[in-house]
Amino acid sequence: MAKTVSAKTLKKSFNNWFFWNGCSQQAETMLGMAFGQSMAPVIDELYDTKEAKAEGLKRHITLFNTESQVGSVCNGICIGMEEQLANGAGTAETIQDAKVALIGPTSAIGDSLWVATIIPLLLTICLSVAQGVVTAPWIGSVIYMIVYPLGTYLLSWTLFKLGYKAGLEGVQRFMVSGQLDKIISAVTVLGLIVVGALTASFVSCSLNIDIKAATQVFDEASKTYIDGTISVFNLDNLLNAVFPKIVPLGLTLFVYNLYAKKNWSPLAIMGIILALAIVLTAIGFIPGVGAFV
Amino acid sequence: MSTIQVILIALFCYLGAIGSIVGNTIGWYCLGRPLVASFVVGVIMGDVQTAMVVGIPLQIAYLANVTPGGAVAWDLSYATYIGTAMAIAMKGTVSDSGALIGLAFAGAGIGGVVGGTMWNVHYALDVFVNRWANKVAESGNCKKMWMPNIIGGQAIGFLCRFVPAVIVLTAINAGVEAGIAIPGWFTTTITTFGSMMAALGMGIILAFLVKKPVHWAIFLFGFVLATYLGLSTMAVAVIATLVAVVYYSILDKKDNKEVA
Repeated sequence: MAKTVSAKTLKKSFNNWFFWNGCSQQAETMLGMAFGQSMAPVIDELYDTKEAKAEGLKRHITLFNTESQVGSVCNGICIGMEEQLANGAGTAETIQDAKVALIGPTSAIGDSLWVATIIPLLLTICLSVAQGVVTAPWIGSVIYMIVYPLGTYLLSWTLFKLGYKAGLEGVQRFMVSGQLDKIISAVTVLGLIVVGALTASFVSCSLNIDIKAATQVFDEASKTYIDGTISVFNLDNLLNAVFPKIVPLGLTLFVYNLYAKKNWSPLAIMGIILALAIVLTAIGFIPGVGAFV
Repeated sequence: MSTIQVILIALFCYLGAIGSIVGNTIGWYCLGRPLVASFVVGVIMGDVQTAMVVGIPLQIAYLANVTPGGAVAWDLSYATYIGTAMAIAMKGTVSDSGALIGLAFAGAGIGGVVGGTMWNVHYALDVFVNRWANKVAESGNCKKMWMPNIIGGQAIGFLCRFVPAVIVLTAINAGVEAGIAIPGWFTTTITTFGSMMAALGMGIILAFLVKKPVHWAIFLFGFVLATYLGLSTMAVAVIATLVAVVYYSILDKKDNKEVA
């Protein structure tokens, strides 16, 4: 009789991964131990002898790394392959090879799509809620706390099952179908517009160069002329008349340039911003005040 | 902060760290985000209002804080738990919300560096747990495979996170009690810094999103909706969603035509 992994074991394997994938990250095997924990119930069910179980566990605590939320598809694929192996098809080596081959693409998709696009996007939407509901901005936090973990759990579980059912080839077929690309393009448009608005309302930086001229003002109370000043040139007012908030926009594009074109680290960019802040303050410019104030 | 508050904040600081016991989805990517972290600190310290005043700018500045390949130089969870707690604790020493935000950024700076260092210690110490994992695998005992991963990894993880957080928070407490006065020039500088930091998050997120020149026009479209038309970000978000839906349907139609 063919051996199969029960639904209960699948769920257990998934939960082991979903909650504890990062528990013992280290430089030697990355997420290896966590992957082993995820596969343990599967190995336990598929193999009978102690020796076979030991072999199975040993091949799954080796080096493994991925973006763990999207990467659950790897666990699914490996379980499918273990099942075949237990029924006499395939070899232990092909499982190893598939696992190592999956590290690159799943990390790349997970990091660029989920971590670098979906999370910031959901955060910006929740931020606009927080800004919109002035009396209770924490509603934005609560929405994120509910939507993100639940949504990710469902996605991760779906990908896990997809990996198990469709196998390596099936997952590859889905990835090249083009549907994913269209969704990403549309989501990018949404993200860009919201980021534009956030830039306008949150980034603040002013070049308050205010050149004043000495003048005499007639004082009604004492009926005499007293010394005063009038502004003859205000750089910020001038620039904002041409294009509102052009200075914050320029600062944002400057950061973009340093990060995307010059490959500066975020920490180094923070240093530059601090230096700019010190310079702007030291010269006696009036500090920018955020829109949220 | 009372002792219980210090312990609770330090506990969440650990839970929100990368690779904590609740998993990265609930931990690092949820409890560790400033929008959520500041709210949690606000609830613990009984001042959600102030927490959100500093939490929103922190979230914007660190919107693009992601960790490719597990390299953590700047620990966002640590940064926001410490930063928000410090801003609330020292609220009495500053006069306006701009300076309050500046304080939070200063605290976040301290927290981020401590957290980043401790992450690397954790990452290095966990290597020793591998030997335990090998032993369990060797014995073929599937029921015990969770022990090295969870007990081994998390004993180290908890110590590396919780203890330093308690120390930093206690130091902040001591500073408040000693009545440390913040010099005016420092407040001014840090206020300017705080208001400029949003450019960091926005600039880096643009690097993720912009893939072709036309994307700059789309970005500027959102920008001018806010400046010229004075729309709130929530209104812009609704418009953006509608635009994205239309954009998707156009892409879909174009694709189907090519197939036919």
